Amino acid sequence: MLRGLATFVTFAVAAIAQTAGPAKWQNDLTPIGAADWNYDFAAHLLERAGFGGTPEEIQALAKMTPNQAIARLVRFQGTDTSKLPPFDESGIHDPGLEPFPPSRPAVTDQAKQKGEALGIKVKPSGNRRLQPVVNEFFYWLRASVLETNRVAYWWANRMLTTPRPLEEKMALFWHGHFASNEAKVRDYRKLMGELEIFQKQGTGNFRDLTVAVAKSPGMLAFLDAGVNVKGAANENFAREIMELFTMGVGHYTEKDIREAARAFTGWNFVDLQFVVNKDQHDDGEKTFLGQTGRFDGVDVIDIIMKQPVTADYIAGKIYRYFVREDLSPDLQKQLGAVLRDNHYEIKPLLEKIFLSRDFYSAASVGTQIKSPVMLAVNTYHKLGLKSIPGVPDFNVATGALGQQLFSPPTVAGWAGGQSWITPGLLLERANFGRDILFPDINFLPPDRYTANGEVRRVADRIRQGMDVSDATKDDTKTGVVAESNMAADRDEDFNTRYGSFRGWQMAIERVKAIPRDTAQVSLAQMVRHQDLSNTTQVVDYMIRRFMRVPPSDASRQKLVAFLNKELGTTDIAVAQTYMEDSLRLLLHLIMSQPEFQLS
Amino acid sequence: MKDSRFSFPKASRRDLLRAGMYGVSVTAGSALRMALFGQAAANAAESGPDGKILVVLELSGGNDGLNTVIPYGDDAYYKLRPNIGIPKNEVRKIDDHFGFSHGMAGFERLYKDGKLAIVHGCGYENPSFSHFTSMAYWHTAAPNSGEPYGWVGRLADAMAPSAPPNFIVDIDTRQSLAVRSRRHVPVVFDDPKKFTQEVFYDEREALQPAADGKPVDNPSRRFLLDTARSAKDASALVQEAWAKYRSPVDYGIVGLDLPKVAALIDAGMPTRLYYTAYRNNAFDTHVFQNDTHKRLLTYAADAVSAFLQDLTRIKRANDVVVMIFSEFGRRAPENVNLGTDHGAANLMFVAGNNVKGGQYGKPPSLTQLDAGDNLVYTTDFRRVYATMIDGWLGYHDTQQLLNGQFQPFEMFRA
Repeated sequence: MLRGLATFVTFAVAAIAQTAGPAKWQNDLTPIGAADWNYDFAAHLLERAGFGGTPEEIQALAKMTPNQAIARLVRFQGTDTSKLPPFDESGIHDPGLEPFPPSRPAVTDQAKQKGEALGIKVKPSGNRRLQPVVNEFFYWLRASVLETNRVAYWWANRMLTTPRPLEEKMALFWHGHFASNEAKVRDYRKLMGELEIFQKQGTGNFRDLTVAVAKSPGMLAFLDAGVNVKGAANENFAREIMELFTMGVGHYTEKDIREAARAFTGWNFVDLQFVVNKDQHDDGEKTFLGQTGRFDGVDVIDIIMKQPVTADYIAGKIYRYFVREDLSPDLQKQLGAVLRDNHYEIKPLLEKIFLSRDFYSAASVGTQIKSPVMLAVNTYHKLGLKSIPGVPDFNVATGALGQQLFSPPTVAGWAGGQSWITPGLLLERANFGRDILFPDINFLPPDRYTANGEVRRVADRIRQGMDVSDATKDDTKTGVVAESNMAADRDEDFNTRYGSFRGWQMAIERVKAIPRDTAQVSLAQMVRHQDLSNTTQVVDYMIRRFMRVPPSDASRQKLVAFLNKELGTTDIAVAQTYMEDSLRLLLHLIMSQPEFQLS
Repeated sequence: MKDSRFSFPKASRRDLLRAGMYGVSVTAGSALRMALFGQAAANAAESGPDGKILVVLELSGGNDGLNTVIPYGDDAYYKLRPNIGIPKNEVRKIDDHFGFSHGMAGFERLYKDGKLAIVHGCGYENPSFSHFTSMAYWHTAAPNSGEPYGWVGRLADAMAPSAPPNFIVDIDTRQSLAVRSRRHVPVVFDDPKKFTQEVFYDEREALQPAADGKPVDNPSRRFLLDTARSAKDASALVQEAWAKYRSPVDYGIVGLDLPKVAALIDAGMPTRLYYTAYRNNAFDTHVFQNDTHKRLLTYAADAVSAFLQDLTRIKRANDVVVMIFSEFGRRAPENVNLGTDHGAANLMFVAGNNVKGGQYGKPPSLTQLDAGDNLVYTTDFRRVYATMIDGWLGYHDTQQLLNGQFQPFEMFRA
């Protein structure tokens, strides 16, 4: 009996190890042959060109030829996205809000000077005459954040359910590449405008995409382009376009930046429309990257596209996103040439990558660290879910792990790779797994209840009938009062802390709630469908279903021992009726393995 | 040895850490204390007995030094900044030439107490105006080179080559290049409350790491296994330190991550090098900068001065120095949007009880700018690093560590 078990274990270990192509395939862009194609290759392709697959989806893809698989995944043949639901707007934007001033002091200054701001008039007399204006300011700040979080949910659901996962995965790439965030843009509508560009044009032409993004109100707002005017060019927009969006640092001079900034002068937006303010545009001659002419912004982008380094830079970044971090200069040049030869059409490059031997080589398979959004969507997908659960909150969870949609930390987007992982985040990832399988019954929806202690304190005191001054006093600290807290306590025309509380309240009233269903999972059913008869088979099935790189054999043995102890038997038939909780614990342990982070 | 806590034997550390593994909470806080004593002794043996601590605070985004320590006595300043120059009457004057931005009451107090050093004109040759490039230069202390490790990481390698756990703590959502080390795995976390794996009782045994001794070929897998080990070493300690920490000191509205540092120091964490940041390019003030910038400075000054008060409260003020920097200063003339663009030379600050307060380095000229209207640096920023490494932490071979000769300032009380 013991010997029999040992033999079985050896067999099973071989079965769960994922296979990759030979090491010599590394850096080889030759397409794989139909004979090379198998279940593991199909699994790898689905994992990288999308958000991963269930065994059934992988099996279906494995039955195709590599070319058929690519036609489906990259060229979207036989897929239809028209049935995916559009975003359900709450309808929260008020006409007076545009143009939204850059800060609260700017709003109150404007109100003092003009007698109104944000479409709200200053009270002619009485106490705190500017309070309604300040309330409206905080209302929009809060409402835009909440609605942006709803857009993020909508997008994550698309990632989970779309028949074209590459379209969304590419949109996610561009969101990190042409990064802008809600904290600066402060308008969910502009961020959605950018997302639509990424989704519709993200697998199209890079030049057209760059022009569309450069003209999008979201990006113009994010990079302060709207204030770049003739005679005093603001360099931020031009610098980031070259440094981060197209060429990479070191391929242009500071003078090129200043000249490009002149070409972009006058580019602006009015609400959601791109405009060029002719009187602010510097129509003079510019010398940019060795060419001279009366260039405008689009001319500058076209000149950038003529630089060989642009195609190399973009192709290299796309490769790192889909394949692996380390990329030889030679391979990068080859990939750049593919992009250049196809006039910046992105699909031919993606096809080349996803069919290449390099993509299936040992250096590429199972070596990528999942981004937090990938981790979440990939896990939900492999659990077989049809929608993103409301508990745990998708945005809070992915944000805690370092990647909240519409909140890249800086204009450089997310660094990716190993930077996704720190000791703290590794533990946090395992906790996320637990929150899916054992939802917190004390969960409070963050779009209804605020975790902000100050807002809660003010809300409580106002309800107790305190006046605004007393209700907003911060008496939680003793000793030297920090300057910032002192400043928040002085102004007679309005009270900032009250505005913050009231704005929150107004926003909750108008922004639709996110549904808070928990994950609908039945691991027992999953196991029953597979005809697995003993605990070792169950552990191996779960490892193979959920992990691309198995844990060490010692860890695997521990998992088997754990399940045996939990179920009180090795025989699944015996445990049929009570195994769900134990299987969930097992899956949580699998999600806690360092190797679970690998894709 | 200054501190009697360092004299405990290191015997039982491993056992106790195992008990506290993955943050499964341990009774009575004993794991923390016992685990620390042994480690502190080990560190002390490697790097000198006094256990001095350096805290680095990064102001990301490029702080506008000219509107931080304002040269109000120089007419050229108001010529460069007719609209965003801070009026003389709003400046917190520290002498007849310079004064702090109005919100920086905390720094004014520290300066007047002789605990704050201002270093003028810090920068380097051929400055980069890219946030990411220039920040990488500051992180690696190696401008215009491809140095892969951070200066704090290299310092840890030099001070403690056996890489004891928890020598470097970096509080952020992702690891800074500055702490990237050849030997050490820095402890990186953001929220100490969440720096734990929440496990069910039944799962504990199965979660003990089980390496099978086989070589790991996959570099990403190797990285994950190393990180898991560091998490295991640190999480119970950090959690417990934070749970115990109660401070009456007012860190202000933002506080940065300095209360977390205070909590760890208070708990006797063996960490010698802390790295924190005012995050997310906050200081990148291209437009309408004055309100925003003043607010950022207020928060930063509040937090740093509160941190020093807190250290006094826990009786560790003599062991800690805070060094503050930004990846560049901003363009000397204002731009048309009431903001400033990326610049070059900038201020650095060093704060602490043992710091000889005052001004160091030569203030850059406001009339002789470079071709791009930038301040020309007068002090290589690595001189300030050398001051921390040699003058404060007592590691003398700065030439090798910083790849060049950088004269430290005489900045500390004997």
